[in-house]
Amino acid sequence: MAFLEMRGVDKRYGGVVALDDASLSAERGEVHGLLGANGSGKSTLNKILTGVVAPDRASIEVDGADTRIDRPQDAHHRGISAVFQELSLVPDLSVTANIVLAFESTRLGFVQRRRDRERAAALLERFAPAFHGNTLPLQAPVGSLSPGEQQIVEIAKAIAREPDILVLDEATASLYSAQVEVVSAVVRELRAAGALVLFTSHRLGEIYDLCDRATVLRNGAVAGAVELAETTEAELVELMVGSVTAPAQEVVEGRGAASLEAARDVPRLEVEGLTTDRLQDISCRVAAGEVLGLGGLAGQGQSALLNALFGAVRIRGGSVTIDGQPALPRRPKQAVDHGIALVPGNRGREGLFPVRPILENLTVPSMRGRARFGVLSDAAERAAAVRAGEQLQIKYGSLDDGVMTLSGGNQQKVVVGKWLLTDPRVVLLDDPTKGIDVRAKAELYEVITALTEQGVAVLLNSSDDDELLALSHRVLVFFEGRVVSELSGNELTRDRLVADSLQVAAT
Amino acid sequence: MNLATLRDRAQLAEPRDLLRNPVVLSLLVLLALFAAGNLVAPGFASYGSFVNTLRIAAFLGVIAAGQTIVILGGGEGIDLSVGKIATFSTVVVAQVSQGEDERLLVAIAAAFAYCGLIGLANGIGVAYLRIPPLVMTLGMVGVVTGIIRVYSGGQPEGRAPAVLSQVVNGTALGGVRGSVWIWLVVAVCTIWLLRRTTFGRRVYALGANREAAFLSGINVQRNLVLLYVASSLYAALGGIMLLGFAGAASINLADQYQLISIAAVVIGGTTLAGGIGGYLGTAVGAVVLQTMRNLLIVLDIPAAGRQVVNGVILIVLLSLYGRQRRLRQ
Ligand SMILES: Nc1ncnc2c1ncn2[C@@H]1O[C@H](COP(=O)(O)OP(=O)(O)OP(=O)(O)O)[C@@H](O)[C@H]1O
Ligand SMILES: [Mg+2]
Repeated sequence: MAFLEMRGVDKRYGGVVALDDASLSAERGEVHGLLGANGSGKSTLNKILTGVVAPDRASIEVDGADTRIDRPQDAHHRGISAVFQELSLVPDLSVTANIVLAFESTRLGFVQRRRDRERAAALLERFAPAFHGNTLPLQAPVGSLSPGEQQIVEIAKAIAREPDILVLDEATASLYSAQVEVVSAVVRELRAAGALVLFTSHRLGEIYDLCDRATVLRNGAVAGAVELAETTEAELVELMVGSVTAPAQEVVEGRGAASLEAARDVPRLEVEGLTTDRLQDISCRVAAGEVLGLGGLAGQGQSALLNALFGAVRIRGGSVTIDGQPALPRRPKQAVDHGIALVPGNRGREGLFPVRPILENLTVPSMRGRARFGVLSDAAERAAAVRAGEQLQIKYGSLDDGVMTLSGGNQQKVVVGKWLLTDPRVVLLDDPTKGIDVRAKAELYEVITALTEQGVAVLLNSSDDDELLALSHRVLVFFEGRVVSELSGNELTRDRLVADSLQVAAT
Repeated sequence: MNLATLRDRAQLAEPRDLLRNPVVLSLLVLLALFAAGNLVAPGFASYGSFVNTLRIAAFLGVIAAGQTIVILGGGEGIDLSVGKIATFSTVVVAQVSQGEDERLLVAIAAAFAYCGLIGLANGIGVAYLRIPPLVMTLGMVGVVTGIIRVYSGGQPEGRAPAVLSQVVNGTALGGVRGSVWIWLVVAVCTIWLLRRTTFGRRVYALGANREAAFLSGINVQRNLVLLYVASSLYAALGGIMLLGFAGAASINLADQYQLISIAAVVIGGTTLAGGIGGYLGTAVGAVVLQTMRNLLIVLDIPAAGRQVVNGVILIVLLSLYGRQRRLRQ
């Protein structure tokens, strides 16, 4: 009898079967992967274990005892704590205050509060290297941190409860490699201390690095439970998506980079001396059909450049031209008129209309082109949404369902899909594959390739170094708001990228 | 968003519970009110009485349409000046037309123009000067009160042109009055505007997530201005209809609509946080409120008592709204 046994778990949402007789069994002192394609039921299973979602049927045993988990409090009492895909921090409270919330001290009073604050600071100390410049932003409001840093605070908060079972549901999706390493180290410490960590991620590297065993879900049912040491990547992918897909990187390899050399003389996008509060004197040219990667440590100005080119932040100086025409946008509306699209880095806050249906979420940026005198045709709107849905293989029940009923990866596809419908000339991608599964990643890479074949210029920021290197023709390395180097051709290696990111001279 | 709210949302998303649909819910409330009234005063739920209720509810229904649009647009959006703008509209039409039929169209044009300008000022204050909507529109009540004083010398002259009264009060088809037909047209147009135009989609987008709307290429400020202009135009139309009903203008004829227009919107299931809801609910809400008022009259509750009851209902509704808002975060 394993430490955690979940058996016969069923859950439907209306007509959608989220879980169908799912089960999971894992031991103390184990990092257990919970894997599967987007919409396969991973988050639903996690939420049932933590009492957030009520199952239609389930039997849960912890430590040999039948356990009813009806409410989140029940999970707390059983020592289960979780980090979900949707962040749960209070944006206006400071980092410390958010963590202190987790302690739930029963005794009030000044001394207790000070002790809590000290505990919070000590806890965060373990994550210090993951923060920008390695300084802990203890007093900063959580809302002012980057998505990755917020995620780290969230993880720290979950650990503050000293759980026996820690659920990490795509907690690393928006983290850069250096940050992932910090989290991995903490997870290993927990494992050594005898905790069980349930780890969900779409990055195979992390899974092989951290997990001992894994349960793979497919369409809500268990497709297999495996020892990772005895399972190849191909076998694992096959279990998740049902058929072996080409490893994502190969999709884009062997593109004719040479033909770009000629095109580069006539840049599609040209940026000259762009300066904002967070950027200094950025210049670059991107040819039609080129993918320019933006590399570096987390938050060195990559997102800031994308936001500036989209008119979302105040620009202090510099010029931007598209096809030789001045195109410095003062607000996103103008950028869209110039044919620029931005897939933003924070899908919940910047990309989605959470209370609105999938249909509206997909069609709003492009609806003007389909409307006549501001009047929409329902049929045309639906056709457009269906087109985006098919292109990205979005898994949904009805276009009229709320967008938050989608699984995390499918929400991300909506955020990408709504811009494909605008027929852009320049596409700005801020970590576009976060939370989407291996197959969908490969499909998105194909979409990017198709865009470049149509002559679209792409700027790509990614927290995943391998993805950045595989997709980009060139990479600009950022450090503290400046471009410190440009990598192209055979300089496009992981070692060079890491070295330049850290500002260490490569040898 | 904490665990408990995640759980609530997961359950809300399940469509099995029709009772959670606010339009259905307020229709049930309406039925209950008619049933209760009929117990106290037989005939309360008769066809004639129902049609008469609609006739009076039409003014609220039209004014609350603008309120719905402003509230849907989110960002604490609210228009406290709709009542005063409607009053101003009655005064303008009465004074410009001087009761003459041939001057009616000019008078109506003037009312829309003046009220539209007031809405424009509201919109500019909210969108560009970033004044909180509550403060801006409450301040505007004071400004418009002053304008009415100066413009009418405290005692509006003129009256409703006969044509206007005939259109608003005349009966056609099954004893249904003109005001109801006008309301029906307004309702259909408003629902169409919200559901089938780019403007409507933008209203919902602004209310659902203003940041995402901005990053989807929506001109947030210009659309915010449009919300308040639309609201003032609906208020102007409501005022014109009310003048036709009352016959003569006064300096506070439509002031009461300031708060009950908000109540109608909330009863109809549009959340004060924006992004969720629509006009159909508001229309039902307007009938509910008018029926409730009739019921209080039938129950012989004096005017002061009726106001207290109205206030209490508003408090209850708004505190329920507080719950909804927590659910969203
Ligand atoms: N509140 C809800 N209402 C309706 N359907 C839902 C709801 N939550 C989840 N679903 C559906 O249940 C299925 C499983 O979703 P779940 O979030 O568990 O997937 P997942 O494996 O976590 O995917 P991802 O990798 O994209 O995060 C999906 O088809 C999803 O659309
Ligand atoms: Mg998930």
